[in-house]
Amino acid sequence: MSVSDSRESAVSNEEHLAGIDIFGTTHPGKKRTANEDQFFIASLHKSMRVRQSSLEDLSAFARLHASFAYLLVVADGVGGIGGGRQASSTAVETLAEHIGETIGCYYNFDVDKEHEFLAQLEDAVQRSHDQVRHQYAADGRGPATTLTMVALMWPRAYVVHVGDSRAYYLRDGRLRQLTRDQTAYEELVDQGVMTEEEAGRAGLKNMLTSALGAQFTPAIGLIDLQAGDVLLLCTDGLTKHVPDSDITAILGGGGSAEEACRRLVDLTLERGASDNVTVIVGRFAAS
Amino acid sequence: MIQKKICMVGVFATGKTSLVQRFIYSKFSEKYHSTVGVKIDRKEIEVAGTQVNLLLWDLAGQDKFHNVQGSYLRGSSGIFFVVDGTRRETLTELAGLRALVRESVGEVPAVIAINKADLEEQWQLGQGDFDSLFGEGRHVLKTSAKSGVGVEEAFLWLAGRMLKS
Repeated sequence: MSVSDSRESAVSNEEHLAGIDIFGTTHPGKKRTANEDQFFIASLHKSMRVRQSSLEDLSAFARLHASFAYLLVVADGVGGIGGGRQASSTAVETLAEHIGETIGCYYNFDVDKEHEFLAQLEDAVQRSHDQVRHQYAADGRGPATTLTMVALMWPRAYVVHVGDSRAYYLRDGRLRQLTRDQTAYEELVDQGVMTEEEAGRAGLKNMLTSALGAQFTPAIGLIDLQAGDVLLLCTDGLTKHVPDSDITAILGGGGSAEEACRRLVDLTLERGASDNVTVIVGRFAAS
Repeated sequence: MIQKKICMVGVFATGKTSLVQRFIYSKFSEKYHSTVGVKIDRKEIEVAGTQVNLLLWDLAGQDKFHNVQGSYLRGSSGIFFVVDGTRRETLTELAGLRALVRESVGEVPAVIAINKADLEEQWQLGQGDFDSLFGEGRHVLKTSAKSGVGVEEAFLWLAGRMLKS
């Protein structure tokens, strides 16, 4: 099994970032030879770390190197012969680098700075888009990628989304999708041009209307999470095979974030895994 | 450029998202999607010679599963309340929502849109209901996200009042 994964489990000293368990994993699936998906999990920290001191009590300084935010990203490259993988890789690298350089100053932001912060997130996604185009095809006909990002500053989760990867959250046993797929299927059904059946038969579920590197319309949203919530980011390799009811059962079934990720990927594999599959699960400890 | 935050507030399925879509993209979807959390859109407009960037926070409607969160309202310069003319209960719940807004952001300019004017023959509200809603700092009008009636007027009125206050 070719699986790459990463763990970021932490019990933060920050007042509100308590008991977060986050895990991500990706798998090429059963039909694809290459994995064009990417994921990224990072915690952002305040910078001061005391190396030596004559002070008796240094506990007050602990919060200065605790996590003040988390960044979670999934991306699904499109464009064959390695292009999709390059596009998703470039997009996530550029995004993470920009956020790493700019978001640090927001660790203490108030409501007046919230739109500035959102603008920084949008700017990061815009830079990723520009970089993918610059690197692979300025005419927008090169490889492209979806990108779904959550910047978590407890309890607020800011979501920036392009394409058909998804973000969900589970609260009190109810799964809600935070993003809407940017596909021709969604658009034409919404406009009443086609019924769901017609659009499904026409294969429009896989036709993106927005992607980094191509035509590009980021959607922005947010939600305030609560203790006990579970967050899921995934590429469509999961949702092609695993319906919401199964996702709800797995996320609501207890266990660690890692166990939930493994179950989601295993179920996808059992059902054929026609595409690459990537999941990030974040569990927020019940109070 | 001046930035102003407007929150769209109302019971579920009153047409908040559709009004934003009509105002920004001039389009209407027959298919209903309930909003989860908050969706944020922006539109740059000119009000009395001043360029204003409107930040439209489309809040999930209140339903039996959740109440509108006061934390989303913070920093709002104006509120766009939406009532569904075909459902009296959406007007009944307006009082509680207005109280929540007052508690969260104080008295700010507000529009109360009685939406779904294209279905006026099915409305459950009368003139007496309208009269009870008027007051200082708020504007009450009929809108239709489907036809576009009143939509531009509502947002422009609110933007104008926000700039003055």
